Amino acid sequence: MANLNIRSNQERTYQAIVIGSGISGAWAAKELCDLGVKTLMLERGKNVEHIKDYPTTNMLPYEFEHRGQVPQKIKEENPVVSRCYAFREDAMHFFVKDTEHPYVQEKPFDWIRGYQVGGKSLLWARQVQRWSDFDFEGPARDGFAVDWPIRYKDIEKWYSHVEKFAGVSGNKDGLATLPDGEFLPGYELNVVEKYFAEQLKKNYGNDRHLISARCAHINGNLDFFAQQGRAKCQNRNLCQRGCPFGGYFSSNSSTIPWALKTGNLTLRPDAVVHSIIYDEEKEKATGVRIVDRLTKETEEFYAEVIFLNAAALNSNLILMNSTSNRFPNGLGNDSGVLGKFVAFHNYRAGVSAEYEGHSEYTTSGGRPTSGYFPRFRNVYKQETDFLRGYAAGFSAGRGVRTNSEGIGMELKNNLLNPSEYGPWYVGSHMMGETIPKESNYVALDPNLKDEWGIPQLKINVEYDDNDEKMIKDYIEQMSEMFTKAGFTNIRTRDDKRAPGLDIHEMGGVRMGKDPKTSMLNGNHQLHAVPNVYVTDGASMTSTSTQNPSLTYMAFAARAAHHAVAESKK
Amino acid sequence: MNRRIALRHLALISGGLVLIPSCDFSSDDILAAYQNLKVTASQKSLLGVISDTIIPAGEIKGALNLEVPDFILVMVNDCFTKDNQEKFTAGLASFPVYVQETAGKMFESLSTKEKEELILTGTKLEGDDTAEGKARGNISYFLNSTKRLTIQGYMASEYIQTEIIPYSLIPGEYNGAVLITDLQKPHING
Repeated sequence: MANLNIRSNQERTYQAIVIGSGISGAWAAKELCDLGVKTLMLERGKNVEHIKDYPTTNMLPYEFEHRGQVPQKIKEENPVVSRCYAFREDAMHFFVKDTEHPYVQEKPFDWIRGYQVGGKSLLWARQVQRWSDFDFEGPARDGFAVDWPIRYKDIEKWYSHVEKFAGVSGNKDGLATLPDGEFLPGYELNVVEKYFAEQLKKNYGNDRHLISARCAHINGNLDFFAQQGRAKCQNRNLCQRGCPFGGYFSSNSSTIPWALKTGNLTLRPDAVVHSIIYDEEKEKATGVRIVDRLTKETEEFYAEVIFLNAAALNSNLILMNSTSNRFPNGLGNDSGVLGKFVAFHNYRAGVSAEYEGHSEYTTSGGRPTSGYFPRFRNVYKQETDFLRGYAAGFSAGRGVRTNSEGIGMELKNNLLNPSEYGPWYVGSHMMGETIPKESNYVALDPNLKDEWGIPQLKINVEYDDNDEKMIKDYIEQMSEMFTKAGFTNIRTRDDKRAPGLDIHEMGGVRMGKDPKTSMLNGNHQLHAVPNVYVTDGASMTSTSTQNPSLTYMAFAARAAHHAVAESKK
Repeated sequence: MNRRIALRHLALISGGLVLIPSCDFSSDDILAAYQNLKVTASQKSLLGVISDTIIPAGEIKGALNLEVPDFILVMVNDCFTKDNQEKFTAGLASFPVYVQETAGKMFESLSTKEKEELILTGTKLEGDDTAEGKARGNISYFLNSTKRLTIQGYMASEYIQTEIIPYSLIPGEYNGAVLITDLQKPHING
């Protein structure tokens, strides 16, 4: 490997380095740049410029050679990513193919990745529900993992801060489990979803709710978002291609161009981070070593403060690969917990059914969200034989029956003149909290390396008994709720998917009060190397049930302000 | 699209065909555009007649007008597993024999009604483990796949989605309670 550090150290020195340009890294960079900090953002993948690099965004269905389907050869070569719901012909260029960055599965784990500027923020499902203290207090109350060093009051104003800028549509639902935020006008539930919400009230008192899920889409305050070059969501539901309107929040449409406009951001794509450099004399991190994705040349960059936002498991990998005499087992890893207590969200089960009622109605147009069923199990006290609980997605819809009976003119008439509506279809999927455990871990493979000379990640994560009991309970409870609502033809599934396909892997660099049992303090600093901040999924002490991205954004913004305040001391 | 351009170029160079000497199709030409299938020009033209029977032209264009046979072969070539490609091509290859046996004529010389009946019957054939049973299973697999892909290629064609049932990239504001009686026609595209 050639080491071509031709440019002077001064040229390669910034005030801050952010590793990763996904949802949390770009938030850190945006805040740092807004505060006047000269920031270098490193991204391992190629550049993706808003609109310009969305090649499929305005393509019509018939313009896709395989009408959306992924060719068989690609599927066979890339079985893991092919299991992801969004890996389709229109967006497959934004996903990492299995062959491009191999890893070792000691147990089956579907690691879904997006290596490009913007990361997975281009591809995410855009659901943004706040955590509450029922979530932050979970580990302490139920005796697992370690206590979170923060509570809702520490993060509340940062939720507001990121919601206002990112654009979050939602309704003030007044639920203790799911605090209200800074909402743009929400999207409405349809007539059958409203009916189900009423049935839940009728059958379960004030215990179970269905709300319109808060989503990171612009649905108001348009002049404000025009400053970011973004416009109202057009309900296209083609988000995974990148949105030419900037209708949903992504790093590419929002935080990155904003940060670039300040003049304080330098964006360096194609920079595969090898490790964080630790200076034993100064007793702090001084920079980052990268390998150019294309030329394979190594280069170093220096800064006073380093933000690690490489996405949960890659942030673990980078710390484990950052070794020194002081930290032979990975940067900041005095406790030995680095890479351990990895958890995820349990998405294995779903329940669907039909509904014969409200047959005079259908829906029209589109909306970027659906119904959300917040956690009701074990909220105020432990009441089941498993810990924690699950939230669920819920939506109702009605299709026109495709009549493909017959052949010839009869078939043609049937196809071109659809007239018969099917029944309402209702569907739900679980989002279960999983319990972080020492035995669910990631580590560096001692032998295998990737094409940049960096050790491959070995993943050892699996479901446990608690998850199995929760799946059973979700299926029973949702089936009962459906039955009581008069839904029929109820079908349940446990697709036995591997962990990872939820794309909510978390932990390994957890926060905690005690340096002996955690990696990060309450400000997201490594206990032992306080000028390194980790504010992505790796930092999660527990998982809750809510989609985690909003919390990462709030963490990143909060930590960036903390870092700037520290530098002024 | 790339493939279409490539095909066009190929057509310019070789008249659309790559000549493969000898083997079973000595007088027929194997189409190089579908490299995973050994499909001949005459088989593609038979597929055209079948898809045109499934969705014929009338006041509104039919499957053959919209180059659906090419779509079918692209999908089988690129998106089917090897096993299913083999079943499909075996079914396609034995279809003329099946037609001769059941109707005593070539498929192309049957009346529209006879063609329709033959395809409908063929889609319902049931296979088993005997050699004849396998052949029947392949024919049924071939015809059902062809029908499904004909419908897909036809309905998701530019012509249908622009002139007949327009598709909109921007579907409009959501209304979660529309009375069906207020709608002129069900909305299926976008």
